[in-house]
Amino acid sequence: MRALTWHGEKDVRVSEVPRPEIVEPTDAIVEITATAICGSDLHLYNDRMPGMREGDVLGHEPMGEVIEVGDEVESLEVGDRVVVPFTISCGSCWFCEEDLYSLCDNSNPNAEMARKMMGQSPAGLFGYSHLLGGYAGGQAEYLRVPYADVGPIKIESDVSDEEVLFLSDVFPTGYMAAENADIEPEDTVAVWGCGPVGQFAIQSAQMMGANQVIAIDRVPERLEMAGEHGDAETINYEHADVYDRLMSMTGGRGPDRCIDAVGTEAHGTGLDGVSDRVKEGAKLQDDRPYVLREAIKCCRKGGTLSVPGVYLGRANVPFGPLMNKALTVKTGQTHMQRYLDPLLGKIEEDEIDPSFIISHQVGLEDGPEMYQTFNDKEDDCIKVVMTP
Amino acid sequence: MSEHSFESAAEAVSNSMYPGASAGAEPNRSRWKRVGTVALGGALVAFGLRRRSLGGTVIALVGGALSYRTLSDYLTDAGEMEPVERSITIDKPADELSDLARDPESLERIVGHFADVSAVGDDRYRWSAGGPLARELSWEMESTADESGERLRWETVDDDSMGALFDAWSLSFDSAPGDRGTKVTLEVRFDPPGGTAGSAAVERLDVVPESLVGTALDRFKSLAETGTVPTTEHRPSARGRGDLL
Repeated sequence: MRALTWHGEKDVRVSEVPRPEIVEPTDAIVEITATAICGSDLHLYNDRMPGMREGDVLGHEPMGEVIEVGDEVESLEVGDRVVVPFTISCGSCWFCEEDLYSLCDNSNPNAEMARKMMGQSPAGLFGYSHLLGGYAGGQAEYLRVPYADVGPIKIESDVSDEEVLFLSDVFPTGYMAAENADIEPEDTVAVWGCGPVGQFAIQSAQMMGANQVIAIDRVPERLEMAGEHGDAETINYEHADVYDRLMSMTGGRGPDRCIDAVGTEAHGTGLDGVSDRVKEGAKLQDDRPYVLREAIKCCRKGGTLSVPGVYLGRANVPFGPLMNKALTVKTGQTHMQRYLDPLLGKIEEDEIDPSFIISHQVGLEDGPEMYQTFNDKEDDCIKVVMTP
Repeated sequence: MSEHSFESAAEAVSNSMYPGASAGAEPNRSRWKRVGTVALGGALVAFGLRRRSLGGTVIALVGGALSYRTLSDYLTDAGEMEPVERSITIDKPADELSDLARDPESLERIVGHFADVSAVGDDRYRWSAGGPLARELSWEMESTADESGERLRWETVDDDSMGALFDAWSLSFDSAPGDRGTKVTLEVRFDPPGGTAGSAAVERLDVVPESLVGTALDRFKSLAETGTVPTTEHRPSARGRGDLL
């Protein structure tokens, strides 16, 4: 089958790879009908994530049709239309039972390595390094889905692929980010990063009754989208000082809730930005935590910092202000299965149509070029959907 | 453990152990690869740590806390070695876990990352290391303690003509705090052939005892809680089918 494979920094190729097969009786094989490139795929594209190997199949935002099921799969049948969430969860361990699906104890065969690095291993993920399981990803014609009774969500209405595809990652991720922010009525919510996760965090914050949502980015079309679809006020950080603007918009209090939907590859400005790049180059830190620092500075005392943005290792974060201002931090990979049913409900009831973020629809063979376009934020690229 | 020592250890390990897997690796190499996995504590070898940038990232990530001590690092010149012990919490009753640990087919799956096991009689098992080491490392173990739900212990039979990787394999079961199932502790007393620090046989083994034990517990837990063991075999990639990791 054809698949997008990783070969090093800024080197994604269309390769012919073996078709996946059922390995365990709880597996299913899905023929992919739509698959997206995620902002977190760019961390792999820029070779910032440890544990990638040449030839790894990328992708963790797929959907398609079930074409084969293992003997023990009960909830899926051949012919079912499914969206596959990016986290791989066994459904049986303590964490899955507590609805903490992205912390599954059993799905990472390389848990030992992750444990060495983090203390304990989180769940395995599709197409996201051997550190997180080495699972082949979904930017391919076919995908093996382990624990098939636990992950995929069946789509039984006639909504389009484009409307439900983002249940695989970015919609639930933005939603959990807003949920993690503990939004109360009258709150002002500031969202750094207006990529897909930021856009869904903005809309979710509105759904949760935020009084005011402020979107921060430097890409004009993304800010425009946040205003148009998310009813957010906007700050372009290349044209204004974010702290000053936020203080002025909140009467000096600072936003009650801050969401970092950027993560490790933030583009800082001024001295801080330069310093982050120097430290990173010298291997003194693994992440560029520019947004984290700014959010900690801006957040109102006693407020909440929600971090859906992916970080990889050590980041130089001002813990003093965080402690003295009594901030709450909530983060984590998305506990996908917790959100699939309710969010599918919102889509089917026309509360939201997630397809608004799609900027490019192409075939799999255009994948390598689209990685570059998306990475360079060219051509107004916000979200790429591929049809194998 | 300083970052520098980790870096050099990781590089040494990857340089010495990287089997140079390439696209189209034939299936029967997977056994050998599994030994490589053990050798690297389940991960490093196939990361292509030879790429310095990645090595740097890994090392930076680990923040100096990561150390892979291979077998030879544990041994003294006199060949003495402390048992390696790790624990895990499994959400199943201790009796059920004891049955799993005794059942040859289940045991085979639990230790499948580094060995093959078969029953050869009452309470006796033949173990052999996977891959090319299988011809050198094959040994019999017999039950020396069997208190179901509390403690199980096997020891290597003395008159075994071939090399044994360890001479004792014991499991103990305790109630996990907070009603979360059973705390399972696996203790393995490694006793490799030619077992002194610096001996050629031990150097060639290049096993990481803690990782071998840790991964065995992971697999035990997954088998008990889900009925399956997550595997990296059979995976499609541009390298072919199957995986070093």
